[in-house]
Order: sequence, then structure tokens, then C-alpha cells
Amino acid sequence: MMKNNYRILIIDDEEIILDSCTEILAGGDYEVATATDGTRGLKRLKEFQPDLVFVDLKMPGLSGLEVLEEIHELDPTIVTIVITGYATVSSAVEAMKQGAYDFLPKPFTPDQFRLITHRGLERRKLVLDTIALRREKELLRENFAAIVSHELKSPLGAVQQNLFTLIDELSGTVTEDQLRRLERMKTRIGDLVELIHTWLRAISVDIETIKDNFEPVSVPTVISKAVESIEPHAVRKAIEVVTSVEEPLSPVFGDEVTLTEALVNIGNNAVKYSHMGSQVSIKAEEKDGHIVISVSDTGVGIPKEDLPFIFDDFYRAESGRTAAGGAGLGLAICRRIVETHDGLISAESEPGKGSTFVIELPVYKGNLED
Amino acid sequence: MGERKRLLIIDDDPDFVEGISSILEGADYAVDVEYNPDDGYKALQTNPPDLLLLDIMMGRGAEGIMLARKIRKDPELREMPVLIITGIREQIAFLFPGEPVHPRFVAVDELVEKPVEPEFLLDRVSALLEAAEARKAETS
Repeated sequence: MMKNNYRILIIDDEEIILDSCTEILAGGDYEVATATDGTRGLKRLKEFQPDLVFVDLKMPGLSGLEVLEEIHELDPTIVTIVITGYATVSSAVEAMKQGAYDFLPKPFTPDQFRLITHRGLERRKLVLDTIALRREKELLRENFAAIVSHELKSPLGAVQQNLFTLIDELSGTVTEDQLRRLERMKTRIGDLVELIHTWLRAISVDIETIKDNFEPVSVPTVISKAVESIEPHAVRKAIEVVTSVEEPLSPVFGDEVTLTEALVNIGNNAVKYSHMGSQVSIKAEEKDGHIVISVSDTGVGIPKEDLPFIFDDFYRAESGRTAAGGAGLGLAICRRIVETHDGLISAESEPGKGSTFVIELPVYKGNLED
Repeated sequence: MGERKRLLIIDDDPDFVEGISSILEGADYAVDVEYNPDDGYKALQTNPPDLLLLDIMMGRGAEGIMLARKIRKDPELREMPVLIITGIREQIAFLFPGEPVHPRFVAVDELVEKPVEPEFLLDRVSALLEAAEARKAETS
């Protein structure tokens, strides 16, 4: 049978404390383990996996504070309570600043010990419940996004499919003006599908989770993959995408997929707001421990009053750029991606002359052989 | 060659089906349609087509995936080319929430995203049919 009792670990160099605490808790629904110093305590902790740990602050060997730090490192959900002499209340406060939940001054009565144990375990339950709830919410959010997207995208996909087919089948039998309107419908629905993707991306992805898969990433690879995605849009407007990458270039530490996404977003914007037949240039160089990637266009530019807000969620410029449409989220997502990489994103622009977007990412300093 | 190739579409969205079957019929394929995985599987067994176009999200969830797995286990159907047509991105997110998108989640010959440009669809279909034809010629 699986035992669901709470597990309590007591770390104290005074045997009498260990014995009396064990005695006080006997008969309750607890499993109790003890250790006589910090090193033993931490060893015991790993196999025993306690819910609540009492730590004496003054012990020979590892100090109570060091033990606390180690416990919080190992598992921040374990509730810790420090045991301390009356004279050292100030160090108890220090311990609480470092994450201990409460402190128990020596000497203490059995009732005081029972009470603080009870409170500590309630705290533990709260911590675990909160984690479970958060996980559930996360799952719900992800599934919700997927379901909603299916419900929205399926009908649009069916409409779009028929438009594709009709445009094909009707070519030659409809007037140029009618064909233009059909094409326009196709474009609008395509935009709508993209919009759904962007919104879903914004709500369903917890950007912090990409950090779990960070690895050294080659910037030239990111750039060439991004250019691959941007090119088809550029070709349609006869825009030339020119890249110049300084060599050699140190890698950055991050996630190739989202970094590429950020660059594609910025590159597509540059194309979108550029004039037919112009040029978009993507440059990468290494400067003061940073990789600096810049994307420049000679397009319509961004009005001064809009510039400070372009990286905000759902911000859409009132003037100038609105014609091309969009969700007002693309650059916000870029900012989040870049910031998750400990990087900076910025933009300079002169209306009528063009814009330059700059992403700065810290160079990866780890050992590449690992 | 000569004979018209027979295609089977299994998809629960009649509007979408009309869109693609019209393209395929226009290119002189014989097109059959089944609107749910069960009828689809029956049709596959009684009268296997030269190529199957399969949707993923049907019924209560990813029933297209189950069907694709069943086909891969069936010695009679294993060699049949399968083209999955799907709203890939969110459907994979639905199948594997929180995981990076990985299109190779089931052994199929090809995956294309809904909606699909007519020219691209015809391209994929004829490429898959040719590849199947070549395989057959090799083994016989």
C-alpha cells in the first residue's frame, strides 16, 4: 500500500532535540527521520524526500544557512523551518530572508512544536496545490488554444480551398476585375489564417519554456533559414534580400527555431513596408561580446510618435504602416523571443526613408566541445 | 499507363472535400470520398485506391492518425501511398501540447497543409503515384 503520510526531517546536532521531537510527533500521521549534522541531513534528504525540514542554525560542520541554501537549490517546494536559540533570533530572520518559512526558538514546548509542524505542513500542502493548479491551467491553455484554432481554421480552410479551386477553374471565363476580387478574397482569408496563428502563438506558448532547450546556435544558420522564408515574399515584390555576415562569428546560446522566427518576422516586415524593386539588407557582426544582427529597408519608415510603442502587445500604428495590415503582435513576439535570450531589440526609422531593426544577443561563452 | 488512377479522400469536412476533389477530378483522377474513418477503412479494404488522401482531425480527435497506423500494419494496404492533408500546425500542437512541432509523428509518405494550392496538390499526388509505380516495377 502507498503511504500518504507527510515526511518530516529534523537536522540538529543535539541528540536530545532529535529524540524529543521524534517523541512528540510519534502517534501522528507522520514519518520522521533525523540527522545529526548538515552533511548527513542533506544525504538523508535526497532519499527520504521530506515535505518539511527542521534545520538547527548552529551546528558544527555545514552551517544551518548553508544547509538551507542547499535544500532550496535541490527542491524549492520543500518547506523549511529553522531551530534557533533565543539569543540568535537575528540569524533566524536572516534564514527567513533566505526562504525559510518560519523559525522555532529553543527551548520550546511540545505544543509549540506540534503547532509549528502543523503550520509548516499546511504550507507544504498549499505549495503543492499551487503547483498542481498552475500545471493544470497550463495544460488547459494549451489544449484550449489547439481546439479553438481547429474550430476557427477548419471553416476558413474549407473556404480558402474552394477559392483556390474556383480561381483555377474560372480563369478565362471571368473578367479581369472579377478575378482580381477573387484573388483579393483569397488574400484576405490567408491573412485571417495567419492572424489566428499569431494570436494562438501569443497566448498558447509560454516563451520561458524555450529556455529548457537552449544550446549553442550558429547565427549564420539562423540568418540563412530566415532568408529562405523571407525570399518568396521578397520575390513577389521584386525586392532583393542582401545578407552580409562577418566571419568568423561566435555562436549565441538559445533556441534556433524561435530566433529564426523572430528574424523572419522582422524580415517580412521589412519586405512588407518596402517599395517594389528595392533592397532589404541583413547584416551580422560581432561587437563587444555581442552578436549584432540588423535588418534594414528603404521603405515607408515608422512615424516618430509610433516608434516607442512598436514592440508593445497589440500596438498598431495609426498612420503610415496600417495599410499593410497585421495583428500588431509580430514585433511583440520578437521582443519576447529576443529578451528570453537575454538580448535587446531596437529600431531606428526615418519616415519615407526606411527602418533598421537591430537584435543584439550575448555571445555564447561556454565550451563548444561539451 | 492509360487507366485513370483512383484516389480516395477520407475527410469529415464536406466543403473542404469538394474543394480538393474538384481539383483532382479536373486533372482526370477518379475520386471517391468517405466522410469518417470507419467507412474509410471499409472502403480501403473492399476497394483499395491507388492513393489515399487522409485528414487527421476527425471525430473525437486525431482519428486520422489511428487510421494511418492501421494502414501501416495492414500487409494489403502498406504499399499504398498516403498523402495527409491537415491543418498541421495546431493539430500537432493538439496531439503533443507543449512539444516542438514534429511533422514525422506517423509514418506517412507526405504531409501537406490545409488549404493547399491546386498546383501543389496535383504535384504531390502525381509524384507519390509515380514513386509507388516505380516501387511496384522494382519488386515485380
